[in-house]
Amino acid sequence: MRRRFTFGRFLTYAVLIIGSVVMAFPMAYAFSGSLCDLEDFYAHPWFPTPSKLYLENYRILFSAKFTSQVEIWRWIANTLVRIAWYTLIPGIVAVLAGYVFARLRFRGRDAAFMYLLSSMMIPGIVFLIPTFVMMARWPGVGGNDWRGQGGRGFLDSWPALLIPGLVNVYYIFMLRQTYYSIPMDFEEAARVDGASTLRCLKDVYLPMLKPVLTVLVIFQFVAIWNDYQWPLIVSSGNKKIWTLALGFQQMLFVGASYKGYPPGSAVVDYPFSFAMAIIATVPLILLFLGLQSYFVEGVQGFAIKG
Amino acid sequence: METTAGQIAIGTARLSLWERFARWRQRNRQPLEGWLILTPILAYYSLFFIFPVVADLYISFTRWTGIVGKPVWVGLANYKTWFSGYYLLILFNTLLFTVTILSLSTIIAFFIAVLLNQKVIGRGLFRALWYIPTLTSAAITAQVMFIFISPYDGVFNAILKALGRPIVIWPLNAFWMRTFIILFSVWRGVGGPVVLFLAALQGIHPEIYEAAMVDGANSWDLLWRITFPLLRPMLIFVLITGTIGGFQIFETVMLITAGGQFNVASSGGPRNMTNVILLQIYKDAFVNNNLGPAAAGSIIAAILLLWFTTTNMRIMSRGQVEK
Repeated sequence: MRRRFTFGRFLTYAVLIIGSVVMAFPMAYAFSGSLCDLEDFYAHPWFPTPSKLYLENYRILFSAKFTSQVEIWRWIANTLVRIAWYTLIPGIVAVLAGYVFARLRFRGRDAAFMYLLSSMMIPGIVFLIPTFVMMARWPGVGGNDWRGQGGRGFLDSWPALLIPGLVNVYYIFMLRQTYYSIPMDFEEAARVDGASTLRCLKDVYLPMLKPVLTVLVIFQFVAIWNDYQWPLIVSSGNKKIWTLALGFQQMLFVGASYKGYPPGSAVVDYPFSFAMAIIATVPLILLFLGLQSYFVEGVQGFAIKG
Repeated sequence: METTAGQIAIGTARLSLWERFARWRQRNRQPLEGWLILTPILAYYSLFFIFPVVADLYISFTRWTGIVGKPVWVGLANYKTWFSGYYLLILFNTLLFTVTILSLSTIIAFFIAVLLNQKVIGRGLFRALWYIPTLTSAAITAQVMFIFISPYDGVFNAILKALGRPIVIWPLNAFWMRTFIILFSVWRGVGGPVVLFLAALQGIHPEIYEAAMVDGANSWDLLWRITFPLLRPMLIFVLITGTIGGFQIFETVMLITAGGQFNVASSGGPRNMTNVILLQIYKDAFVNNNLGPAAAGSIIAAILLLWFTTTNMRIMSRGQVEK
């Protein structure tokens, strides 16, 4: 019994370590590569190892010359605005609607829930074309007449990046399930003390919803930070409202022209693009590492207390 | 609620309009609050979720640039397009990618989560390492990871050369491009299910295991008779979201197959062997300004997906009946 146990432990660690090395390899490769100059990079095809510390790739990214032509700060700010909007609104919607579906009883509730769920099976692809057309043909804006003809509508402007996707059925579903797992006693006790619904939500449920809301924030933050397809479709023409993923993707391979290579030369500056990829990823990694302990604590505490 | 019989007697004697309204509001608190919250949500939802589906269905039967003019009814022509020529290959590729990516990442994630749920040292670090790829932008990493399969200076070819093997011109080799897209997607996608499974596992009370162990269950029994059934809701969630995600694989294919450069027209290669539904929709709608086939493609994807997920759920619940 004891021997099998130790062998099992050994196997567990072996699998975890080998798996984690494989998982970490591409980003480690990119990070190490971002610290290489081009010679070092091409001298070590297996794994780029800098022979000397070379920070030029990062220095270029934040140099005045680069940021004046490639507005990465603006793109980051745009992305943060979208993140704030797309965590707050869908979060509030999910907390309220989840409560309605889990706790209130009235005629039509289940029909409304089924109505919401009916789109869950419909993939986002289906919404892509019509939502694009809606943005482009929105009546009365962007040079459009009341029939939506003639102009560009919301295309290449902020509303196109903020209007769609404010109701998220997944989160409503997730919150509803979480409400179900919380005993009614807490709310009933608060009701006896005369608390209103809003007060129950704020003081009774919100603290207990923290773990699931943290999940929501993490997922929304990452999704919007990396959102590429929708900004590509509706905002390609206006660099001022580009978001980080779109802007960075378009600028990944411009590095060589900032290192003295003539414009249009065939040099593909991978180390520079690695630096950009690292810069685009590090905030998310920090966010995750920062919230991870909270996340774990929340989920575990939830399991024990609930 | 705390009213006494005396108060009620006085209350019913002379009720002002306001009091009656307050009573009515109190009695109907639940429907009132429910509809107050649901009305704006349902209105928004109808405009941005239900109307688009109807519109998409209509557009799929028309020829329309979306820029000027009105849609012209063409019947089933757009659907016929999707079931002829290289469009069939696109459907096949999408199914292939979805099935392989989803089964690989679900199986891997389940076992990694089970391993991480034991008392391992550095669990947080392991989980972070598994989750970090999910945090990366598909658009940015897909393009950067082209270095691995770049024909002349790529990592994989350097390894092949070192092993004395002939090099592979990856972008021209359908098998290896597919493999690379699958591996890349599993790498990027497995972290989410790991975290979800782990969260679900940690929600299982240890007492259940202790009770089963007292009853003489071994660790294999614990895994298959306790962990697995209790994880089923989460598993269904992971499978369904994974299928939906798999059907909409886009940036990965577009940017990996565009050869490390941004060239949409040549993406999905070689010869459409890696082309997928959403990429073709993107090309049809936004490169060729041909909304009809794009809308038809999305409807086909939705139908396939519905069939996929219901089959999935049927199989899962069949397992439940047996227990």
